[in-house]
Amino acid sequence: MPVALLASATLCLAAAALSSAVAATAAPGLLLQPAPDFALPAAVGSNVRLSEYLGQPVVLSFWSSRCSTCVTQLAALDRYYATYRSSGLVVLGISVEDDQQRALDYAHAHQPAFPLLLDRAKSVSRAFGIDRLPTTVLIDRSGIVRYLHSDDRSGDPSYVAQIRALLDDRIGTP
Amino acid sequence: MNKITHSMLRAFWPLMLASLAGPSLAAEAAQPPPNAPTDQPATAPAAPAVTDAASGATAAPATDAGAATRSLDEQIQGLKKDVVDLNKDLFVLEEELLFPANTQVAVFVSMDVGDFFALDSITLKIDNHEVSNYLYTPREVSALLKGGVQRLYVGNLKAGEHELVAFFNGKGPHERDYRRAANIRFEKGVGAKYLELKITDHQRAQQPEFELKDWD
Repeated sequence: MPVALLASATLCLAAAALSSAVAATAAPGLLLQPAPDFALPAAVGSNVRLSEYLGQPVVLSFWSSRCSTCVTQLAALDRYYATYRSSGLVVLGISVEDDQQRALDYAHAHQPAFPLLLDRAKSVSRAFGIDRLPTTVLIDRSGIVRYLHSDDRSGDPSYVAQIRALLDDRIGTP
Repeated sequence: MNKITHSMLRAFWPLMLASLAGPSLAAEAAQPPPNAPTDQPATAPAAPAVTDAASGATAAPATDAGAATRSLDEQIQGLKKDVVDLNKDLFVLEEELLFPANTQVAVFVSMDVGDFFALDSITLKIDNHEVSNYLYTPREVSALLKGGVQRLYVGNLKAGEHELVAFFNGKGPHERDYRRAANIRFEKGVGAKYLELKITDHQRAQQPEFELKDWD
């Protein structure tokens, strides 16, 4: 029995490592490339088109209400948005929820200051190569994807430094 | 195609710059150095002539350098203009290649006033195939209301009879959800075909009106 338990634990660890390796290589093809343009309806408010924010740094956060770390990430982004909004920072949350009503209920319940968009057809998620949540994409003023994070960075000081670098147009290597 | 166009421009830009900078650098190298020794006799009466020659020699290279810089600036500006013109020509050629006139069909959208309808999205179907689904932002609606005309769709169709159906989604009178469809049958012949979707306000009925127009 302990041997079987150890074998299953080893298999689980190997599977997790493999999936993380696959996930790490899926999205980085977008780094230093122009962000794909899109238009999505908002849960509350008007439609939003990414290209209308050219000239401003944009943070895209792909989330789902079923993902607890996504909810934490959105709360942190709300704080960053409140801090840096006057400097031109744009934050857009993109829901990849299968059940759109859950996304609408979350939007109405939490009411973040930035728009929460609904990707019903998952076309935007596919265009950005999203395969794990939460995923955050940081886009510079020229519309180029500069940073891409496939985990929760809400407590990471380097994350704030990256946002500030985009605002100050000080772009480092990803 | 756009990626090919931009990659070609990025490849050509340094080559063009190097080819124009090369002759300029060669011309500068061919000029004599500013402090070149002159063949003057070492006698007192000739000293003022040597001084004048030296001051003249230092003034001349400064003006030559300025002239060379201006010439290089002009060349660079000319090169930039050539690149912009080339980009424009490439775009026109790309359009003609992808959508030749004998099969091209283009659909345009225009809005008038907009008191009775707030446009959210338009879905286009040609011969029962969905060809376009466009979401409008407030900025785009504002541009349409100010008289802008949007080219919503451009594609290729073979000659013959076709049907276009347009679905308009938005908010109607009293902020209620509004969805209307309009269709038009048209004949695609030789030459480009242009169709217009006009959204206007019907004042008497207090309702929006959706008209499909064939620009024959």
